[in-house]
Amino acid sequence: MIANAAEIRKFTILSWGWLTIIFGLVWAVSWLVGVAIPLLLANVQADWARLVTEICQVLTPLVAVMVFIPINAMFMVLAERRALALFTVRKGPNRVGPDGFLQTLADALKLLFKEDITPRGADAFMFTLAPIIFFAPSIFGALPLLAAVTNNHNLFQVVNLPTGIFYVLAVSSVPVVGIVMGGWASNNKYSLVGALRSAAQAISYEIPLVLSIITVCLMAGTLDVVKIAEMQKGGLLNWNILGGGALSGLNKYFQALAAGQADAHQMLSQYYPDWGSVIATVVLIACTVLLVGIYLTGACAEINRIPFDLPEAESELVSGYNTEYSGIKFAIFFLAEFTNLFIVSTIATVMFLGGGDCPLPDWLNPLTNPAVTQPVGKFFSFFTDRIHLIDPSTFFPAIWVIIKVYALVFFAILVRGTLPRFRIDQLMAFGWKRLVPLSLIIFVLVTFAKGAVRLHV
Amino acid sequence: MATEIKSDRLKTDEMIINMGPQHPATHGVLRLILKLDGEIVRHVEPVLGHLHRAQEWQGQNRTWFQYQALIDRVDYLSGMFTSWALARASEHVDGTEVPERAEYLRVLASELNRISSHLLWLGTYLIDLGALYGFPFYPFREREKILTFLEEISGQRMMFNYIRIGGVQRDPKADWFKRVEAFTKEFPERVNEYEAIVTENPIFLDRTTGVGVLPKSLAMEYGVTGPSLRASGINYDLRRFKPYSVYDKLKFDVITFDKDGDTRDRYLARVREMRQSNEIIKQVIDMIPQGDIMAKTKKQNAGLRVKAGEGFAAVESPRGVLGCYVVSNGSDKPYRFRWRNPSFSNLSVLPPLLIDRPIADVMAIFGSLDIILPDVDR
Repeated sequence: MIANAAEIRKFTILSWGWLTIIFGLVWAVSWLVGVAIPLLLANVQADWARLVTEICQVLTPLVAVMVFIPINAMFMVLAERRALALFTVRKGPNRVGPDGFLQTLADALKLLFKEDITPRGADAFMFTLAPIIFFAPSIFGALPLLAAVTNNHNLFQVVNLPTGIFYVLAVSSVPVVGIVMGGWASNNKYSLVGALRSAAQAISYEIPLVLSIITVCLMAGTLDVVKIAEMQKGGLLNWNILGGGALSGLNKYFQALAAGQADAHQMLSQYYPDWGSVIATVVLIACTVLLVGIYLTGACAEINRIPFDLPEAESELVSGYNTEYSGIKFAIFFLAEFTNLFIVSTIATVMFLGGGDCPLPDWLNPLTNPAVTQPVGKFFSFFTDRIHLIDPSTFFPAIWVIIKVYALVFFAILVRGTLPRFRIDQLMAFGWKRLVPLSLIIFVLVTFAKGAVRLHV
Repeated sequence: MATEIKSDRLKTDEMIINMGPQHPATHGVLRLILKLDGEIVRHVEPVLGHLHRAQEWQGQNRTWFQYQALIDRVDYLSGMFTSWALARASEHVDGTEVPERAEYLRVLASELNRISSHLLWLGTYLIDLGALYGFPFYPFREREKILTFLEEISGQRMMFNYIRIGGVQRDPKADWFKRVEAFTKEFPERVNEYEAIVTENPIFLDRTTGVGVLPKSLAMEYGVTGPSLRASGINYDLRRFKPYSVYDKLKFDVITFDKDGDTRDRYLARVREMRQSNEIIKQVIDMIPQGDIMAKTKKQNAGLRVKAGEGFAAVESPRGVLGCYVVSNGSDKPYRFRWRNPSFSNLSVLPPLLIDRPIADVMAIFGSLDIILPDVDR
């Protein structure tokens, strides 16, 4: 029996409402800037028109991200509070707007208008710079992922990099500089301890995090997030979480079986010729499942979430590095924290969970069946072909990405509602004595196992 | 060519941190002056008195009747016990015979209060360990029910003023006992739920096992009492050691451990004590006799007097031995009061436990002693 079914229903409605608003808005803005303006100017034969078109196309990804980040953070804060209320049989914020729909909007407004206090003895310049340095990487770090999650839509191709994931990881290690700066400049001992903890923690947990990502890149043979996402297309068995593509032969075999091909069994022996390849497949599956665990643990530590929230450890350090921050600066810290949670979930989705891929393979999926898609496509042809508002090849992957990413976010909230906090020495021991060796062992194992079986056939 | 690193060259300055009086985790207004070497605590100095309200002096300037109502504020989580200690001491001076039904009602109300106090401790302790958002609300669900029961019989959720000199304030209705009985039946299930989340949680074990080990001798030296003492292996519970009221007629286990208690033992001691209190409540509901609830000789107004004399009485509160020393000169005001508060002695053992521990353990150990700051400062 579910005790608070009504609350769960409200939470679901609220989440889908917010998600519709967020992604509708992002969609509308990118369409307006990237498609509508160039379409309007298409017949204008002037230099300025060409210039505006070009500028618009380059700016689209940036505008999309800039619109997305603040609204998304507002939604995530609200969702977190409501979800934690669900776990603990409470109601959560439900007063501002229908069912608390606008609670975080009100909170954000309040923070904007609060007095911006710089403590006495603080280094004012550094104190102001810290939240900016903390926040900026979450904008720039998200950009290459935009191409991967929209199935390489031509609006967002401009932000794709051949070394995409490398860039994302490099940029995502910048925020700790902001934390240390903020903690040091605050002229507060709690902030200082929190900042130093954060530095130690970020350095330690970045190693397993990066090693787990590199192992995936090793299997995929590329650093390009778009290519990695594309490789995993074709259903659950192709995703990196299950052997990094080692099962894609099995996937092909099932497809052939379903199609009634006579030589299906031959296919199996073609992809898995000997026992070595079978063992390698099993090893790869074990390794990748562990890798996801390592990645999520490392990511949790990287973005300072419970059970690794030592830099802000409320019961020990008051509020850690952001103790002295108030008003807009605190809001920026807050915003960046939730955006970082979103970004690490997106990286996990693209690297391990197949990006925008539907878990069902194409031959099982009714949405890719021409009998369904053709009449629907005809019905929406005005939107798809005339004004280019919807691109089906982007629309469905984007929805799958949203579902997967927010499932991971929800998982992080669940963890937050369950676990106590580590102590700093236990945190270090766990990082250096367990995670780092484990990820190194997996790296070596994958290097060997990868040669014995064909990946992503 | 090997270079030698001398340890003294790596030594850095110690940092002094004032933890509190305004700090989210000091359970009130305790101030701890910590000297930190990096993350390690090298020296601790608790500074008390931020909440000093001169409760003893106030007693001497109020009538007996007024002071009864005031004294609940000392330990705001277990008001029943402070009233009970005051009532027992005064009755001892007076030689008042308390009706048996009143004694049973006192036990019943106090054990309910003990459970609610431990439940609140359980929630806030997990907050001290960093589980800020999830678990702490589950104990509050049951605590809310208990507070509703106590509100029904006393009219107040926390400052009960239920146990009076000579008896108790009012007799609960018949269906109240039935509802309490229904609660006692479901309560062990709830405790199982808490234990399922906390007791074997690997992070909880990491944080608590071997942390804040309180040896028997140290506990004796500092006069630690209550579950913290029993977790350190000393079987000392006033309810059993020196039975007062009707505790000698009730069957219950005194939770003690065999070894020097660490933080986890103190957690387990409290959780098991809740189960024992639950058993006591069940028995009391079965055994409670009919009869008066207030001694005939005692007034319930400003005319309440206690005969001249002096006396001491102690009860086993959720935090330990709560004693009250009374001197009366027969007038409407008490002549002298002296309280023996368990939190004060329990807090005094904090500095030796904290030395050379990381800063995160400060809260883990401090929380495990279950200290109420108004009870320390009075």
